[in-house]
Amino acid sequence: MSEALLEIEDYRGGFRTETGDFVPVLHGVSYRLKVGVMTAVVGESGSGKSLVALSVLGIQPPAFERTGGRILFRGTDLLGLDEKGLRAIRGAEISMVFQDARAALNPVFTVGRQLADVWQLHHGGGRKAAMGQAIEALRRVSIPEPERRARQYPHEFSGGMAQRAMIAMASLICQPALLILDEPTTGLDVTIQSDIMELIVELSRTRGLTTCLITHDLGVVAETCQEVVVMNAGRVVETGSAEAIFTTPRDLYTQRLLSASQLVEAA
Amino acid sequence: MTVVLDSPKAVARRRRKPRSWWALRIGIGLLAFYAAVALISFGWTPYDPLTPGIGDGYDAPSWAFPLGTDRLGSDMLSRLMVGTRYDLGIAFVAVLISLTVGTTLGTLAGYQGGALDTVVMRGVEIFQAFPGLLFAMLVVQAVGAGIVNVILVLSFVGIPDYLRLARAEIHAKRDWQYAEAARLAGNLPWRVAFRHLLPNSVGPLLAFTSINAAFAALVTASLGFLGLGLGPNVPEWGNMIARGQDGVMTGQWWVSFFPGLAILGLTGGLYLLGDALSDLTDPRRRGR
Amino acid sequence: MLGQPLLQVRELSKVFPVEGGRKLVAVDGVDLEIVAGETLALVGESGSGKSTVARCIVRLIEPSGGDVVIREESILRLQPSRLAGVYRKIQMVFQDPNASLNPRMSVRQVLDEPLKLHLYLLKSERAARVKELIEMVGLTAAHLDRYPHELSGGQRQRVGIARAIAVSPDIVILDEPTSSLDVSVRGQILDLLLDLQERLHLAYLFITHDLQVVQHVADRVAVMYLGGIVETGPTRDLFADPRHPYTRALLSAAPVARWGVKRTRTRLAGEIASAIDPPDACRLVGRCPLARPACASAKPPLLDIGAGRAVACPVVVG
Repeated sequence: MSEALLEIEDYRGGFRTETGDFVPVLHGVSYRLKVGVMTAVVGESGSGKSLVALSVLGIQPPAFERTGGRILFRGTDLLGLDEKGLRAIRGAEISMVFQDARAALNPVFTVGRQLADVWQLHHGGGRKAAMGQAIEALRRVSIPEPERRARQYPHEFSGGMAQRAMIAMASLICQPALLILDEPTTGLDVTIQSDIMELIVELSRTRGLTTCLITHDLGVVAETCQEVVVMNAGRVVETGSAEAIFTTPRDLYTQRLLSASQLVEAA
Repeated sequence: MTVVLDSPKAVARRRRKPRSWWALRIGIGLLAFYAAVALISFGWTPYDPLTPGIGDGYDAPSWAFPLGTDRLGSDMLSRLMVGTRYDLGIAFVAVLISLTVGTTLGTLAGYQGGALDTVVMRGVEIFQAFPGLLFAMLVVQAVGAGIVNVILVLSFVGIPDYLRLARAEIHAKRDWQYAEAARLAGNLPWRVAFRHLLPNSVGPLLAFTSINAAFAALVTASLGFLGLGLGPNVPEWGNMIARGQDGVMTGQWWVSFFPGLAILGLTGGLYLLGDALSDLTDPRRRGR
Repeated sequence: MLGQPLLQVRELSKVFPVEGGRKLVAVDGVDLEIVAGETLALVGESGSGKSTVARCIVRLIEPSGGDVVIREESILRLQPSRLAGVYRKIQMVFQDPNASLNPRMSVRQVLDEPLKLHLYLLKSERAARVKELIEMVGLTAAHLDRYPHELSGGQRQRVGIARAIAVSPDIVILDEPTSSLDVSVRGQILDLLLDLQERLHLAYLFITHDLQVVQHVADRVAVMYLGGIVETGPTRDLFADPRHPYTRALLSAAPVARWGVKRTRTRLAGEIASAIDPPDACRLVGRCPLARPACASAKPPLLDIGAGRAVACPVVVG
């Protein structure tokens, strides 16, 4: 068994309601992300899949209260780190791509400038060199005319292009060990979605990235991931290789999810 | 309740500020107090408010006259109680008129759009270029004082605000799917606007009504203070402050102070209520 | 099945004015026909104009040109007050069951309203019909006194469906009815729709971007791109042998939730072109791997290629 980069152990917690009641939503979530492997965390709305991922970076919603568990990154418990310790990890070691890329970019700065700023933050160096890196990163994610695009503002980017820029930022500019993608193609058209997924696979393969893809879409998973974690209602119900999950699912929920995702008989 | 895990923002938003509940209670409490005083004043006041010479004039607050008497020796408490009828009543009626007219016009303009919308909104913009108080003063000066004129002017000044608010609310909701669904369910356009869209905008409208009532009460008092309101002898708060000015100079502070306090209490209560309502009826936090 | 078409859409177009006196052509000369009891899927990605077509058919949006004929009655020239009669024959289910239900109306009120406004039934008759409707969509009378926020997404969509079938229409337009639902709920809603279609002999115009759903429910498919139909035909044939370059790109991009499926992708260059002041050319020009100079000089019409199929591409038809 290969070494795990990130281990989530028995992570639990919930939300406090207005009336002061505590509603548990995560009931002891455990899974591992192996080094250099692309792992999918699959689940429907309410499964808690995003909440766990946000907790890894310490950006879970303020109303969430943890009641137990550990999140080990290279053996260090991230939940024990203070804000300063987390900042050193965020971006440099673990970076994240969100569903709505245009909302994640700052509307008042050009896309190139934002990439260049992050480059300087992590790697230092001059402004010019950083901008060069930004343009190179945009070119690498197949954005046409990267020099011109770098001078544009986020609203001038389509959803697909903005997501490419975010992927460039999270993988090529930050150069993390672990890349977490939270529903990166949800809301994008299928033709765009396929291109983005191919880009993600290609980047993580060539750079040896450990990648965690959070998604509700099993179709995307089948072609891209090696490992799968299936979550339902705040629990991990099954983990295994993608082939095993798709060909011989053991858990009842996994089986249901899979058959619901396969409306059409195999050709 | 259901907790939507994948939208953490929604969860954070759902937390209601307890402050708002307190503001709501205090606001309602003050308003109820004033309404009660106004009602009681129809049946009972300590003395006749319009009779001078009950005291010696400028009597300081005492057991006999809890809030003192004015220059002519009329009982301040009795006058203040009756004054509540005028200030609260005028504000209430004026607000009711502007709410009805403004909301109706705004709903029509917002749902219909097009030429009607453009004409109405340009009219509103031109009208709103004048400050409301100045407009009210000029008109009352021109058409003469009197309770009906004051009410009409106040309601006219209030209409554009309701119109804009209703129009903005309806315009934003016009293309919502439930408006479309209501069309297919057989509703004619006007029915979609008034039966389906408007009730979903009650929160913001109600909140604004409260703020607007505070404004109306202030303008009523201001007109009275400037001698443009209801005639010199009417025990209206603004009138009373104006009549007490001389006393303030010579140390008889209570003659202006208590009417001022009454205005502060009423407008403060209404503002608190409006603030609380706008916070509590925020659709993002609305759960039934 | 042969028969008089229930719904005919002819040369439908919708142009929105945009700033600077320019025109956004959202729908550009769309023809559709639906016969009783069949399902036609209108497929396309964002910006294809498929939802605009749906709204033009029921005049939630006023079309700029063309005609819509329902049971031999042209509805585009009707006074708005006469549309109620049309809505007894054609109804709609909306994409977001959350947004399409008035938050202040209980389920009972939602279902009662069309009965009251369209059918002039007695109160007792309406109450019985409401109960019948809620059971037809797989809910119970206990759900009638709930409000939308007290229902799950799937239950809300069932209420939306019950509302649409309340007045016994001939045609229901389904505007992305499953795209805001979880996959496990998607299947249940589709089963319900198929079941109702069979029981009530409904015709569906199914608007969607989900190709799996199309294969599952549709008899025929029309593929839209940038305001126009580029290919149409029976579902099975079209999926087995897509002809138009855009259809091929679309079908080959759809992921399959199955292990070991290998796809050969047809790729288009760049992204969807702007619909503002489009030139008289094939809409795919600049992206198409098969483009020829002639493609840029005139917009290709839908060419009949037999077996109920048509393709708007002279290059592949030959």
